[in-house]
Amino acid sequence: MVDSRRALEASQPPVLLIGVDHRCAPLELREKIAYSEEEANELLTSFQARDDIDEACLLSTCNRTEIYLLPRRQSEAYRTALEHVFLTRAPEIEAEGRFYVKRGREAMQHLFEVASGLQSMVLGEPEILGQVRRAAQNAEDLETSGTVLRRLLRGAVAAGGKARTDTAIGNGAISFGYAIVDLARSIFHRLDSCSVLILGAGETARQVARNLIERGAKEIVVANRGRRRADELRTLFPEVQVIEFEERRAALERSDLVIACTAAELPILERRDFERAMASRRARPLLAADLGVPRNLDPAAGELDNLFLQDVDSLEQLIGQNLRKRRDEIPRVQEILDRELGIYAAWFHGLAAEPLVAQLQRHAEQIRQHEVASSLGKVPSETHESLNRLTRSLVRKILHHPSSHLRSGDPPDMQHLEAIRELFRLDDD
Amino acid sequence: MDLALRTAVVLLPLLYVGVAAGYGWMFFADHRVPRKAARPLFHATLTLHLLYLILLTIRWQQFPYATVSQALSATAFAVAVVYAFVEWHGKASSTGFLILSIAALFEVLSSLLRTPNPPYREIFHNPLFSTHAGFGLLGYAAFAVAAGYGFLFLRLYHEIKRRRFSIFFGKLPPLEVLERLMVGALVTGFVALGGSVVSGAVWAEQVFQGAWLSDPKILFTVATWVFYGMALTLRRLRHWHGRQTAIASLLGFAAVLFSMIAVNFFLTDVHGFH
Repeated sequence: MVDSRRALEASQPPVLLIGVDHRCAPLELREKIAYSEEEANELLTSFQARDDIDEACLLSTCNRTEIYLLPRRQSEAYRTALEHVFLTRAPEIEAEGRFYVKRGREAMQHLFEVASGLQSMVLGEPEILGQVRRAAQNAEDLETSGTVLRRLLRGAVAAGGKARTDTAIGNGAISFGYAIVDLARSIFHRLDSCSVLILGAGETARQVARNLIERGAKEIVVANRGRRRADELRTLFPEVQVIEFEERRAALERSDLVIACTAAELPILERRDFERAMASRRARPLLAADLGVPRNLDPAAGELDNLFLQDVDSLEQLIGQNLRKRRDEIPRVQEILDRELGIYAAWFHGLAAEPLVAQLQRHAEQIRQHEVASSLGKVPSETHESLNRLTRSLVRKILHHPSSHLRSGDPPDMQHLEAIRELFRLDDD
Repeated sequence: MDLALRTAVVLLPLLYVGVAAGYGWMFFADHRVPRKAARPLFHATLTLHLLYLILLTIRWQQFPYATVSQALSATAFAVAVVYAFVEWHGKASSTGFLILSIAALFEVLSSLLRTPNPPYREIFHNPLFSTHAGFGLLGYAAFAVAAGYGFLFLRLYHEIKRRRFSIFFGKLPPLEVLERLMVGALVTGFVALGGSVVSGAVWAEQVFQGAWLSDPKILFTVATWVFYGMALTLRRLRHWHGRQTAIASLLGFAAVLFSMIAVNFFLTDVHGFH
């Protein structure tokens, strides 16, 4: 790992990153510089016409806007990007210093950390990997990313994917909605065959309904005191069925999962309601999640056999445990990122060595042809073909090791390349 | 052949312990080394165990259930085969550490209790007796698997119920799946043990003409079988929840272990392996 880091430091593309994220700017500011896909495409296309920027890619999400560049002229490209991407929309960013600039290895490390979720507001959140992948694809489609950035972005996506599959950085729910989904998945075989009853239709209910639908829940019934808000929720999610609040007890008997998130002062479902429901559902378990404060569901119901009652405290405890587990995974993710950055460094070094390798091979071939030509007259004609084959093979074998050595980036030293150039007088060719 | 058998007696328990530890490492630490190595090692162990049982059969010219050691090894193999099927079916691969620990326990006991020369008896060649013993071992293996899933069910049930979430939460299959696997194993064990009791009774009547009815092993086995039958009936008729069934599967398995080892060694004449 130390070797790969050294390799990267010794030979790295001059990538430039300018960015604004949730750590340095509040939401009001981030909103101004958030780009839709069309806006991002327009911006990147405008960069194509400029001669100070070679390659560019824009990543814009609700928590960050970042421009990655391969500049032709560092200071001009920096100014162009800062003004066009950020200052035209939010000039206060520069005065308040609410942005960051990273170059070379630091910029590449940052991109890999973004893709793996280490830089996210919610550590290890999964959406960012898809967003980086889309940004990379956009830049490829518009041809604003070339050899260097394209490979770097693909490397970041691969590293993010590996971090997700090889570590537990994305494991465990860290929101109420997903914590309920996790609990349901620990009890029921399939979420899509569960009947869900949501009591309440406020913001929490919406979030929970969204998370459940995303994870495959198909049968969702909502009961709310005010019909209007319940109907609004139905407009947002057509899968949802709305019933009158008074029908909640009957609906409970048919439900496998009940989530209460109302502002009621007293429990809206009593122990006896649960007893009746449990008696009618034979041996099938029931998961009840109470997100209300004060509590919406009678805590005494938790004593019933086969009924799993959870409240805000237990869900928060679960979320806290999952967050701690994710934090524990950071060193393992960093190991993966270092390894992937090392692979990128080796590739980039090979890229830098490629013209020199071609030059070296041309040089050797010229010598071979010259020597063979001067010898052909001195040997019988039937041996000409053998002589050609023999010398070609000799040259190939002599150059094989130095060529692969230069391409492999080991050692990754530009002085090394210069030495080869000088020793073989390649500049004279 | 004797050298191969002696080597297997040492190697197999070590391999089973290694496989169970590998699955445990995979479950608790989710490390990529056991993720890559545990499954191939398990399949290699299973193959070696099959070869061992075949060699044992060839060497002593009888099926390998003439001693407690051989019966335990055959049961360990059956438990491992059942788990291999469950894993192949993709239902509960995260449960390997526990189920394979049971197989490892049987195999370790088998090696510790090994006797150099198992007795050669004509009855081991009787088809009815072979059916009786084969069904018996299959039943015990199924009850062991049921107890494993019962334990995991209770563990997860209480974690969710008491709202104390450990490493088991989120890694084990859902309660519904654990219950289904447990009940499937219980039904298999009940049917197999039933087959063993019936075929054993027919065979014993031919040989002992009624003098076998007071054998403690038979009485204990029939009592265990009735216990399992009652648990399954209550589950069906009184809608016993998974929790009650899981407790019954653990109690039943304690009885099976007692019957397999203590009763065989100290209390019975007809079923004595010595």
